[in-house]
Amino acid sequence: MAIPVIMPKQGQSVETCIITRWFKSKGEPVSAGDILFSYETDKAAFDLESPSDGILLEIFFAEGAEVPVLQNVAILGSAGESFVAPATGMIHNTGVTEPASPSAVTDPGASVAPAGPAGNEQGRIRISPRARRLAQSKSLDINQISGSGPYGRIITRDIDDLLTRQGPIAIEKQAADVFTDMPLTNVRKLIARAMHSSLQNSAQLTHHMSADVRKLLEARKKIKEELVKDPKAADITLNDMICWCIIKALKKFPGANSHFLDDRIRTFSGIHLGIAVDTERGLMVPSIKDADRMDLRNLSGALRAAATACRQGKIDPELIKSTSASFTVSNLGNYGVEIFTPVINLPQVAILGVCTIMNRPADLGNSTFGFIPVMGLSLTYDHRAIDGGPATLFLREIKEQIEQFTNS
Amino acid sequence: MPKNQNIDPKVVRQARFLEFGKIPVNQYSRTIDQERANFTNEDFIRIYRDMVIIREFETMLNLIKTKNEYNGIPYNHPGPAHLSVGQEAAAVGMAYTLGADDYIFGSHRSHGEILAKGLSAINKLTEDELYTIMSGYFGGSALKVVEKGFAGPVRELAVSFLLYGALAEIFARENGFNKGLGGSMHAFFTPFGIYPNNAIVGGSGDISVGAALYKKINRKPGIIVCNIGDASMGCGPVWEGISFATMDQYNTLWEGDYRGGLPLIFNFMNNQYGMGGQTAGETMGYGILARIGAGVNPEMMHAERVDGYNPLAVIDAFRRKREILDHKKGPVLLDTLTYRISGHSPSDASSYRSKEEIEAWMNEDSITEYGKTMTAAGIAGSDQLEEIKLETSELLSHILKLSIDDKISPRLDLDSDPDSIGKMMFSNAAADRMEDRVPEVLIPMEENPRVKSLKTKERFFIDKAGNPVSKVKLYQLRDGLFEAIIDRFYKDPTLAAWGEENRDWGGAFAVYRGLTEALPYHRLFNSPISEGAIVGTAIGYGMCGGRVIAEIMYCDFLGRSGDEVLNQLPKWQAMSGNIIKMPVVVRVSVGSKYGAQHSQDWSSIVAHIPGLKVVFPATPFDAKGLMNSALQGTDPVIFFESQRIYDIGEMFHEGGVPEGYYEVPIGEPDIKRPGKDLTILSIGATLYPVIKAAGILEQKYGVSAEVIDARSLVPFNYEPVLESVRKTGKLVLASDASSRGSFLKEMAQTITELAFDWLDAPPVVVGSRNWIIPAHEMENYFFPQPFWIIDAIHEKIIPLAGHQPGSDFSHGKSILLNKGGV
Repeated sequence: MAIPVIMPKQGQSVETCIITRWFKSKGEPVSAGDILFSYETDKAAFDLESPSDGILLEIFFAEGAEVPVLQNVAILGSAGESFVAPATGMIHNTGVTEPASPSAVTDPGASVAPAGPAGNEQGRIRISPRARRLAQSKSLDINQISGSGPYGRIITRDIDDLLTRQGPIAIEKQAADVFTDMPLTNVRKLIARAMHSSLQNSAQLTHHMSADVRKLLEARKKIKEELVKDPKAADITLNDMICWCIIKALKKFPGANSHFLDDRIRTFSGIHLGIAVDTERGLMVPSIKDADRMDLRNLSGALRAAATACRQGKIDPELIKSTSASFTVSNLGNYGVEIFTPVINLPQVAILGVCTIMNRPADLGNSTFGFIPVMGLSLTYDHRAIDGGPATLFLREIKEQIEQFTNS
Repeated sequence: MPKNQNIDPKVVRQARFLEFGKIPVNQYSRTIDQERANFTNEDFIRIYRDMVIIREFETMLNLIKTKNEYNGIPYNHPGPAHLSVGQEAAAVGMAYTLGADDYIFGSHRSHGEILAKGLSAINKLTEDELYTIMSGYFGGSALKVVEKGFAGPVRELAVSFLLYGALAEIFARENGFNKGLGGSMHAFFTPFGIYPNNAIVGGSGDISVGAALYKKINRKPGIIVCNIGDASMGCGPVWEGISFATMDQYNTLWEGDYRGGLPLIFNFMNNQYGMGGQTAGETMGYGILARIGAGVNPEMMHAERVDGYNPLAVIDAFRRKREILDHKKGPVLLDTLTYRISGHSPSDASSYRSKEEIEAWMNEDSITEYGKTMTAAGIAGSDQLEEIKLETSELLSHILKLSIDDKISPRLDLDSDPDSIGKMMFSNAAADRMEDRVPEVLIPMEENPRVKSLKTKERFFIDKAGNPVSKVKLYQLRDGLFEAIIDRFYKDPTLAAWGEENRDWGGAFAVYRGLTEALPYHRLFNSPISEGAIVGTAIGYGMCGGRVIAEIMYCDFLGRSGDEVLNQLPKWQAMSGNIIKMPVVVRVSVGSKYGAQHSQDWSSIVAHIPGLKVVFPATPFDAKGLMNSALQGTDPVIFFESQRIYDIGEMFHEGGVPEGYYEVPIGEPDIKRPGKDLTILSIGATLYPVIKAAGILEQKYGVSAEVIDARSLVPFNYEPVLESVRKTGKLVLASDASSRGSFLKEMAQTITELAFDWLDAPPVVVGSRNWIIPAHEMENYFFPQPFWIIDAIHEKIIPLAGHQPGSDFSHGKSILLNKGGV
């Protein structure tokens, strides 16, 4: 096994030593106790004895070199043995070198030089604090700006010049990239913060299941027919019906109708159904308070009213807080989404994603196979609050409510 | 240089011999029976008791320092304790005759003196007076501690109060006489006439002269005793103080009942050692210290050596010397011979003196000897004396317990208010006058020739037509100073001014021209060439309650008053726990054209010292306004002026310099020229080259520079400068001080810290070179020039299109200069 030869630390204040003379050369056999090299600090001179028998496989610092203490100076080992060359910055107080990114050296004949100091003047950008701040506020890439200040420092006039040349809007024009920077709207900021926080602060995962929607479509068909006869009749949408089913399922699984509050779980007696609505300003999730007390017709009306209020920006801000709803539904079925993983609106413990309807081959009985319409259901739940078993049972309950749809 | 005293060559060139009279040495020879006429038995015993109290107090401190306990009470005192065991008779004898109106000043070894003086005052004040003093001092906080459970008479209560106040002060407790901020070497209690001790050897040598001047100039009762050690005779400030105190003019030029000598006794507590140096025999050459008096004035300072081992001899000397002072024949020099049995400090192993010597003096110990004399004369029995010792020991045990109990005697609470010492650095008060009475002047102000002449001057540098006003018609910077100063002389009866050439000459730079006509001698007089004492006496005058302007002419002479300006003037307000105020303005003039020792701007040196306010006006408006503020305040102000610009007119303040009174607040910088691209902050007369540079920047390079005149260095409100820097992002700082370590660097660093994110370049300091100042013809190579400022901007802040720098402000040059120490 290769043994590193370490420059000893001679005293608390010594940081480097100079190798004054090598007594052994590379490839030479040495015995334990042989003097390998002599070195000196600013105050005294010392000899370094070989820690063991072996071949001096490599010497990393020549005579006259100033070596940081505890640095690997040479390698002892048996002939042909592979070893690892030191990199700068891997010096440990224990005196053992442990390469962070080792480069294996198998050829003892290859020359191995210690790496030079990291970073050089060419790589640095000189920029005044004021110019840096200005560049940041205008979203300019300082790597692309040349400095006209002393020593090539980028100063504010360089930024000002650039902005004047480019016009008032800071669009960086380059051959390859064209882009526009738009500051975030407040709604965007809120959504960003809520969604990021949800993924960072909970243990969410998604189960997918499909529900046979033949009954649902049948019911919808009837409603449409009613509408043709009487345009004033209630237009109960598929989404209304699905929500209706979800409410029924939630009544059986109050654990999903909850908030996870770190040290406790708050289960609501009423069902306050959050419903994701796309608006021009971004996603909004208004809640339908006490949705469990409504009949299907009222629920449908409430859902439509909430969506309209959101799109018109007239929604009561209290209702779009994540704490306002006890469970959320996000329906992307209209957009043809087949499967997705909705993000929980914390502190709620689950969200149901409703996917598009697809035809799927199924056993229709009597050894007859045909296609039936099924709808994907994606339940994301917070494992901190709900375990996989109950979550699956809850999802299956939704599926069954859909498959057994009744409007009462 | 009074014109009425001609120096006649015929007289002064005459051949003659100087003859000296006799200086008495240990001439006291009365027996105790003879002294019975002067003292009652009670008096005799009280003298003994006072000596015992001092001995026990010092012994206690010695035990605490060396054994960490006294009478079984453990305590560790890491601070100083320069003890005076052996010197008790000298202290008690000195203080015995003194009343509360008589002030003593001390040294680092003055516990004994302050206790003796306190005990003497306690004996002379009425019980009502004592109680009022004690209950009024810091809200009676110290009194409450000693009063608790005390049942005896007020006078005894006052003794406890004195011991507790002094010991708590030594142990840095807030109940101490100076809130624990003075400590062992600076403890004092002005209501008993105990003025500051001084940790600098000889420090009181000139301060006490100022106190005597205060008594004299303001017709206050009482005398001053300056208690300093024999070794301080080797200190410049002591000699300067003696020179200042013995000027002929008190007897020749001061008028009316002001004529006559100062009520001052230089009492050299001659313990014969200065640390380990034996003064007579090794480090001095006077043989007998009293000899010095012979060389000072024809009265030989009424010098005398008195046996400080016999309290009665010292009392006798002080009685006789006081009569001399009462006859205005002072000052007096007393050589009070004593011996310090304790070391210089408890860590002193006395390696410089023999055991035999110490034993010999212990064999003649003043307390033992005096006790024996009393018992032999039947004044007191030995058991009575033992009883006194026992009672004192018990009393001190009690006082020690009170003083070291952190609940009863806490230190200043710097946790709950970390700024509490900071708040005491300045008194920040405003007072039209330090005392209510009519100021003594010679003529009504409107009859003053200079005041009349100023009425005809143009108070702005150009006339209404926009033409420059000629120098003879121009109201100049020196006129602004004069107006502020004469105004205060007619407002504040205590205001006095002194310095070199202050009177008939009108000051070396004609600021005081017109004051000689206005003021009697005692309010404006010439001093000896003693810059140390000029400032030191001002300190003593100020701390007693008078307002004073000390002038030391060239800034370069600040070095001569180093201890006074750096160690004394800034410290006493805070070290007194804010008991005293220091309404002292020191006028300092930065020279020009006079080379290396007459042209330096040392504002940075004084600005570095906490406790001084420092201003440097550059315009007549600011000079008058800042002088008014300085003279309205109660803090020490180092007032810088520049000889370059005494004759400059007001160029900035619209409407010129107002005729009436106004103040420019100390600490507020002023925008002298608004701009938007770059900020230039200047100190002092450099304002004018800076304004020139700003003009060139505007015309030639289209750079609009905002010029801010610092006006003050300490205190300094950074807000206006930061506001400008946030706007411009670029800052040059300029002054005539040598750039290394200059106050500009302090400002640059502070502004970098406070406005880093707004900076478009590092703040750049353009100061003078780190050289000797060359002759006037070469000054342009030394002091900042307008083109230096432009070069520095070009090289360090923002390259200016088409500019060819004439000087080298590169990094490489900077490193090279620093390497070379220039």
